[in-house]
Amino acid sequence: MNAETLELARLQFAVTAGAHFLFVALTLGLATIVACVQLRATVSRDPVRTEMVRFWGQLYVINYAMGILTGLVMELQFGLSWSGLTHFAGNVFGSALAMETLVAFFIESTFLAVWIFGWGRLGPWAHVAVFWVVALTAYASAYWILVANGLMQNPVGTRVDGDTLVVTDLSAVLTNPSAVTAFWHIAGGALLTGGFLVAGVSAYHLYRRSRHGELFTRSLRIGVFTALAGLVLSVVTGGMQFEWLGDVQAMKIAAFEGDSAELDALQAAMSAQFGAGDYTPPSLARAGGVVMLLAFALMLWLLIAGALLASFRRAVLRFRLWHVVLVASIPLPYIAMIAGWVFREVGRQPWVVYEMLTVEDAVSDVSDTVMRASLLTFTAIFGTLIAVTVWLLARHARRDPGTGFLGRVIDERGGQEPSTAVLTFVGR
Amino acid sequence: METLAVVTLAFYVLGYFVLGGADLGTGMMLPFLARNRAERRLVVAAIVPFFLTSEVWLIASAGLLIGFFPALEGELVSGLFPLIVVLLAGWVTRDAGVWFRGRVTGDGVAARSWRAGCDAAICAGSWLAAGAWAWILSGMLGGTFTRVLTDPAVIFAVLAVLVVFGLHGLAFAALRLTGAPQRRAAQGFGAMGEKQAFALTAAALMTLVAAAGSGLELTGSAADPATLAWLVPAALALTPLLMASQVWVWWLFGRRVFAPEDQDNNVLIP
Repeated sequence: MNAETLELARLQFAVTAGAHFLFVALTLGLATIVACVQLRATVSRDPVRTEMVRFWGQLYVINYAMGILTGLVMELQFGLSWSGLTHFAGNVFGSALAMETLVAFFIESTFLAVWIFGWGRLGPWAHVAVFWVVALTAYASAYWILVANGLMQNPVGTRVDGDTLVVTDLSAVLTNPSAVTAFWHIAGGALLTGGFLVAGVSAYHLYRRSRHGELFTRSLRIGVFTALAGLVLSVVTGGMQFEWLGDVQAMKIAAFEGDSAELDALQAAMSAQFGAGDYTPPSLARAGGVVMLLAFALMLWLLIAGALLASFRRAVLRFRLWHVVLVASIPLPYIAMIAGWVFREVGRQPWVVYEMLTVEDAVSDVSDTVMRASLLTFTAIFGTLIAVTVWLLARHARRDPGTGFLGRVIDERGGQEPSTAVLTFVGR
Repeated sequence: METLAVVTLAFYVLGYFVLGGADLGTGMMLPFLARNRAERRLVVAAIVPFFLTSEVWLIASAGLLIGFFPALEGELVSGLFPLIVVLLAGWVTRDAGVWFRGRVTGDGVAARSWRAGCDAAICAGSWLAAGAWAWILSGMLGGTFTRVLTDPAVIFAVLAVLVVFGLHGLAFAALRLTGAPQRRAAQGFGAMGEKQAFALTAAALMTLVAAAGSGLELTGSAADPATLAWLVPAALALTPLLMASQVWVWWLFGRRVFAPEDQDNNVLIP
């Protein structure tokens, strides 16, 4: 195998997965907030809450596209660049991906279309139920993806038969702690991401003394308390993972602690067990872990102070320095998420399936020219789309509520059946 | 189990080509169907409620392929690497155009260029994706599965498959649209009814895909029996639920789109 192809394939997957991870984190977090707000809006029939659903819902919709587009490229990249992985672990890995597409993604996208275009066509209770399906299937999707990723970290419930991995205990695969604990950890991270975004955008409008003070006061509080809940959840589950990581991936812990004696000992032990080779993860893993913890510490202080301040209505409305801090903190959860992801995935190197298959043995047999061309293609497309999405998100986040596209139709003269939520969506 | 796995996979693949092929075809025909701003908007609106719910069939197919036949997925996808990259690039471009088109509003030069750019992305993306499919299917029809066919004669096969995609898009547009774009879409089918025309182009596309896929050696490359023993029943149990959600979408949004008389009168729905 060409060493350059391997590095290019890894870079390509990292670019796609990293972009995917950041956008779906917001998708998951915002979906939770929108689902809860819409439920309360439906129960209370409160127009402010209904407008909140529209405002945050449209940011959710704009953000959603990047998750799908990077996700589908990623799914095909397994076969494209990592045919060794699908060959070796396809029995287990592939079935988790198959379940993700059927149980989660298929339903999520179908119901999202119903939610966007069915506004006003469905009754309010049916409409909110549709969004709850969207939100819950998004979590189901995260779970199945983490079953696949958990297998790479800690291949329990399986055994090697010839040159492939087969399932011996399905429930062990589905309850793999590397999947389940990580799922809650990421769910916490997603709430943190969504919470900080909602709080930051609300703070921007309150700073500008928006006439929608009530809407953004409520939103800011929802954002701060959601982020705090997310932080607690991700810290607890992050700590739990550290506890037993020493048993399943001692090398990752040693790399994080930068303990060179331990690293040398593990390197020698792994060389004896698996043959000569470099089994020490790159130092990037440690950097990821450190940045993650720093971002966590910063967010913890911001949120403790924020939770106190949010209890005072005057502070929420008028404390402009805090507003600036909240806007500036929108990127923090993203930094923590990507750093944690780097720690988890770089920390397992050189393995793609831990202690069973190396990335070198998993990469497809394609030339480095082809791999470079595809890397350039995807990087150019995703770079453009990410820039456009971030620009659109910022643009819609700064606008006044009541000016968005969601939940709006174009008036039909003549009383014909409106096909017009669709027309509003496609623009003029 | 293996036979059931093949049948389930084939169901989703054929479903994708009938539904996803239709909106790709309509996207290809966008400049032909729509000659002015109002018409372009109408043609894109014909695709919009369904493009997400149609492409999930392909994502499900890819998921089932990797779940049921993991080794084959690796061989197929890495063998056809350059074409898959083109397919994905076209697909992503098309989707971005559809998703972003209405996100910049107004009548200024910037907003008009934005919409023109998105329409170009929809059309070019549809051609790229359909072209990649046409090339992949042509290779498979000729018995080549794990490498890109580069014989010059392949160009004729690719063009022929593209014609089928285009006709299928026209048949779909004839069913979905009203007014001048609808007449342009329907004119090629002569006196044939709109539903018959769609059934015919769908059947042509399905025959093509079935013929291309029939040469695949699926049975020898399945996942191990323990995996299939739970995955196939799980997929079969879920399928009716997924179909019900699709039928619901068609029932909700299946009516023709038409141009509103007053485009500027936005109304808030409670």
